[in-house]
Amino acid sequence: MTTNDTILSVQDLRKWFTLRAGLFSFNRQPSYVKAVDGVSFDVPRSGSIAIAGESGCGKTTLARTILRLVEPTSGSVLYNGENIYEMNRLELSELRLKMQLIFQNPFEVLDPRHTVVDLVGEGLVIHGLQENDEVLHDRVISALEDVRLIPAEDFATRYTHELSGGQLQRIAIARSLILKPELIIADEPVSMLDASIRTEVMNLMTDLQKEKELTYIFITHDLAQARYIGDYLIIMYLGRIAEMGPMEDVIQAPQHPYTKALVSNIPIPDPTVERDRIMLEGETPTPVDLPPGCRFKPRCQEIGVYCKEDEPILHEVASGHWVACYIE
Amino acid sequence: MAVLEVRDLATYYYLGKKELKAVDGVSFDIESRRTLGLAGESGCGKTTTAYSIMRILAENGKIARGSVTLGGVELTELSDEEMRQIRWKKASIVFQYAMNAFNPVLRIGRQIVEVIREKDKMSEEEAVLTVSTLFDEVGLKPERQTDYPHEFSGGMLQRAIIAQALACDPQLIIADEPVTALDVIVQNKILDLLRKLQDKYNLAVLFITHDLSVVAENCHDVGIMYAGNLVEVGDAASVFKKSLHPYSYKLIGAFPSVVGPKKRLEFIPGSPPNLLNLPTGCKFHPRCPFAQSICKDDIPEFREITSGHFAKCHFAGELDFGGGQ
Repeated sequence: MTTNDTILSVQDLRKWFTLRAGLFSFNRQPSYVKAVDGVSFDVPRSGSIAIAGESGCGKTTLARTILRLVEPTSGSVLYNGENIYEMNRLELSELRLKMQLIFQNPFEVLDPRHTVVDLVGEGLVIHGLQENDEVLHDRVISALEDVRLIPAEDFATRYTHELSGGQLQRIAIARSLILKPELIIADEPVSMLDASIRTEVMNLMTDLQKEKELTYIFITHDLAQARYIGDYLIIMYLGRIAEMGPMEDVIQAPQHPYTKALVSNIPIPDPTVERDRIMLEGETPTPVDLPPGCRFKPRCQEIGVYCKEDEPILHEVASGHWVACYIE
Repeated sequence: MAVLEVRDLATYYYLGKKELKAVDGVSFDIESRRTLGLAGESGCGKTTTAYSIMRILAENGKIARGSVTLGGVELTELSDEEMRQIRWKKASIVFQYAMNAFNPVLRIGRQIVEVIREKDKMSEEEAVLTVSTLFDEVGLKPERQTDYPHEFSGGMLQRAIIAQALACDPQLIIADEPVTALDVIVQNKILDLLRKLQDKYNLAVLFITHDLSVVAENCHDVGIMYAGNLVEVGDAASVFKKSLHPYSYKLIGAFPSVVGPKKRLEFIPGSPPNLLNLPTGCKFHPRCPFAQSICKDDIPEFREITSGHFAKCHFAGELDFGGGQ
């Protein structure tokens, strides 16, 4: 499936965390939290993919593993065709320039004792790319202008407590942009922001994508938000992909019973819309000691014969639309 | 008569010599079996409004003026001891983080029994029985009252908190972001439960949230707050479909939806004002696309534009926001 237009290819990626057995347990077999358990997908160059799911579905672990912030249990991630887990320190350091991460909470990411100019220029200094102070300063100013913090000279000398949440998140984006990345992974980039400011940051990110030909991977728990920032949607459940496809296809015509339930439960900001909700039994369990067969089976309302035996694999139901479910 | 009547409520916090006007002139009613959703962005004063009603403000917070009547009793004039008798018995509050609301080293049932025996003169056995009934009511197995909080999932804890809030048969429940920390599917189950209990016990509910989508689906009436003011209040369909205040209109338009065609999302340039240094006139005027010179000079009145639909804007009812809602 991997073509020249694929910037990133995730292949059967697994990340299991070991749970240590207690000191006095008789049966000291280790068990695992299978946070990411066999995930494969391709990211097209200049595309924008949203990865969505409920808490504990493994979306953040997936992002961290793709960036090699944690080592995988198995599987590979090809960046422009090269396996990032086989890269040495030097290659990895170069890769980090091209793949940037934006976190949810800009208040925690940005050091309150540094001025904006230091915060935005930090990446260049760390990578030894600052030629001299003047060039560094100029690049910071142009990065601030890119994220529409104007007049940039004025913002450059400020501290974080002098800025609003939306401005801080734009500074976090400028910190990434200054390194001229190709791929940005954004983990809930607007979830901390108030509604009236959120759209502005979302629009900025969309504009930057076009201007800088960026590729995005958005991690979010909010499908309504995902719809506005991505053009392809991946739904995860307990460490695996339940369904993926073009955004509107998945939102308007979900195929997997889990996606159907999830979409039907998203609140609609319109009191005159009445919808039927699909309720699921129980809550999402932790991915430890999963039963054989489909991992969604205990909460599923449409169980068939195969569901109890084998884990369903993704199959294509329409162009680019993949579902991991036996039920047609 | 409304169960809860709030009139011109103002609550200020004192920071050294500075006065922070967290809530400044808020008026609304809630009748039994009705839910008022109070929505707005962080710092708009929605939680301070709730804490003022319950009189659980931080030490530097004072109710500066206004009145709060619950079932005909003026709460702002009660002594601390009299107010203590109101909490749980007449009005209870459900907080956002259920995991922080229970003491982690005491069994959950024990903590609810404690509340019941403090408020109602009841024997230990009767109280335990009451907890069993309550647990059943909120969809928890009665035998689980001997569990500790860490043995419950987030959704179960939120149910237990609701059971506790109902324990002394109140008239009013204040729910402060009751489902914000939960995943959507669990969120809807808890909201369905709240609605069911509301009908059964004739509760008035004050529902506080930042999420207008949740308000749209769960509240009969909606109040929108901005910088300490209630800028608009009315029934849900009117506020969402015929917004009177430019802020409400923009805020509602900022929420994405998974149904219908993808429309352009609204945003409001700038950010909410610093409450220590508020703009003159209408507090929204620096961000308002319709602002005129009067907005800068005069504070708009909170007035009824159409029956039951109030707004605090000089031009309420006269503005054309463009495009259908």
